[in-house]
Amino acid sequence: MDIITARDLTIGYAGTEVLRDLTFGVPEGRITAIAGVSGSGKSTLLKTLAGLLPPLSGSFDFAGATVDYRSEASLRFLYSKIGVLYQGGALLNGLSLYENVALPIRMQYPRIPEEMVCDMVQAGLAQVELAGSADKFPAELSGGMTKRGALARALVLDPEVVFCDEPSSGLDPITSSLLDDLLLRLKATFGMTLVVVTHELRSIERVADRVLLIDSGGLRFSGEYADLAASNDSFVRTFFLRKDSHDDA
Amino acid sequence: MSEIQAAVPETLLLPKRLRAPEVVAVLDGLRHRGEAGPLVLDFREVEEFDSSTMAFLHYVRGHHREITAVNLGGGLARADESFVQKSPEEPAAEPPAAEGPGRFFRAYADRVLVKARSLGRFLAMLGDEVYHLGVYMKERKGVYPGETWNQLFFMGYRSYPIVCMLLFLVGVTISISSAKQLQLFGADIYIADLVGYAMLRELVPLMVGVILAGKVGAAITAELASMTVLEEVDALKTMGVVPEKFLMVPRLLAITLAVPLLVALADVVGILGGIVVAQLTFGMTPAAFITEMVTSVDWTDFGWGLVKTVVFGWAVVVGAGFKGLSVGRSAEEVGRATTESVVLSVTLIIVIDCLFAFVLY
Repeated sequence: MDIITARDLTIGYAGTEVLRDLTFGVPEGRITAIAGVSGSGKSTLLKTLAGLLPPLSGSFDFAGATVDYRSEASLRFLYSKIGVLYQGGALLNGLSLYENVALPIRMQYPRIPEEMVCDMVQAGLAQVELAGSADKFPAELSGGMTKRGALARALVLDPEVVFCDEPSSGLDPITSSLLDDLLLRLKATFGMTLVVVTHELRSIERVADRVLLIDSGGLRFSGEYADLAASNDSFVRTFFLRKDSHDDA
Repeated sequence: MSEIQAAVPETLLLPKRLRAPEVVAVLDGLRHRGEAGPLVLDFREVEEFDSSTMAFLHYVRGHHREITAVNLGGGLARADESFVQKSPEEPAAEPPAAEGPGRFFRAYADRVLVKARSLGRFLAMLGDEVYHLGVYMKERKGVYPGETWNQLFFMGYRSYPIVCMLLFLVGVTISISSAKQLQLFGADIYIADLVGYAMLRELVPLMVGVILAGKVGAAITAELASMTVLEEVDALKTMGVVPEKFLMVPRLLAITLAVPLLVALADVVGILGGIVVAQLTFGMTPAAFITEMVTSVDWTDFGWGLVKTVVFGWAVVVGAGFKGLSVGRSAEEVGRATTESVVLSVTLIIVIDCLFAFVLY
């Protein structure tokens, strides 16, 4: 069953279309990778799905309800069901890691006892193996730690869908691989739905169940990762299999 | 015979190496030659070339119809073909611009429309902030605990040294510049009235407002703009937090609390500056100065000065927040927004001060 269903979604900025007429689904409890070359509009699509950029036309459903950008209640519902890991982490620099992870709890449930906040934050940090760095500030964290800290913040209220914007960018292959393991663990343990924007082929190969490939302002491929090999589309073959269509000849 | 000779094109055999330095030399030669009839550029010897060679060929074809390029070898020809393919397409012809006064008025109208839209967004934000502040005072949620005190520390404690120093100097300056004129009329004693009235009603509110615009407003814009660029504002939104409330309400509360303290302090040091000058110039004792001053100023003057400064403080914070939260995604915009924020704040302060002048005098 699809937790997100997009219909004829056209997105962009102030009259400039970035992606046109996208129709696709994001299955529940699985990892969907949004792939494409740099500048193809992957992050723009993620912003629209995360409630940050209204579509120019078309619509999408989240957990059975159509997201209406003009309705504050609709956006609040969407925000209450998602967590987002931003490309640079986007931890608030003025707050310690502990306070960053505690922020969504404090904002959503201001009257929750401090002991419970502490337990939830510690559990979140332990999940990403950062329990010992709770008191550090974002400036004191490495790139990988920042990403993991941001992931802990995205997960702390147990969202139904976690959007990850280029989780591997700027990370070395080992840290990147550890982050992929973490995403797989989240899916396996909590049945979480993850939407990962990336162009890292290794990462896609390891984590993706389903792939949305974007190119030239549209959706070039939408399907199971396992079906990629059978695709005859030259761009799909070049992108994923690093083969020209001439290679087969 | 001479006509036939003139029609035969000159030939320039280009060197084996034709990279940027050689291309520049050839271009210099062409410039000196002027329009001296047809010319053939012979590329047969050219073996070493780069993108400047390709750009040269492209330039010659576009600008010198009298010049013909011949003998482009295999590699050079392929590179030339690929360069021509990669060259940007000719821009689409723009619709003919209106001439004379029409063009001027259209450009002016466009600018006015942009400013009007911006003003509309600013007023909408001001309305939102009043609403968020009201909701916060009622519900006490949506703002990070303790943030108001952090901001108060920054706006109040960190600002008081500069406020004291500048307002003391303003008090001294206004006293010195008026003392001479007053002496001419034998009206020395009125220096106390002048300094007291000017400081309480006008100079302290205006100067504190301008200092806040430069120190607090610029810092708020730079911080919020950086947060926007680094996606921290987006992160707040997807956490279900309203950034305009989370980030602005503590700052508005802090400025509302900090301004009375700063104004009181500024009034005292400003008048102190006047007392020092009066003592040194006229030998007027501090007691005599204050006794005379209170005959022309009272608590109402202090109160209006305070109200004006609080309004200036709000204008600074909302203006700074408006600029900080409206930036795009590039770091360059942070600097631009910060500059614009200071200009906007100072403009707002002066406009509001002018409106107050109509109401109060």
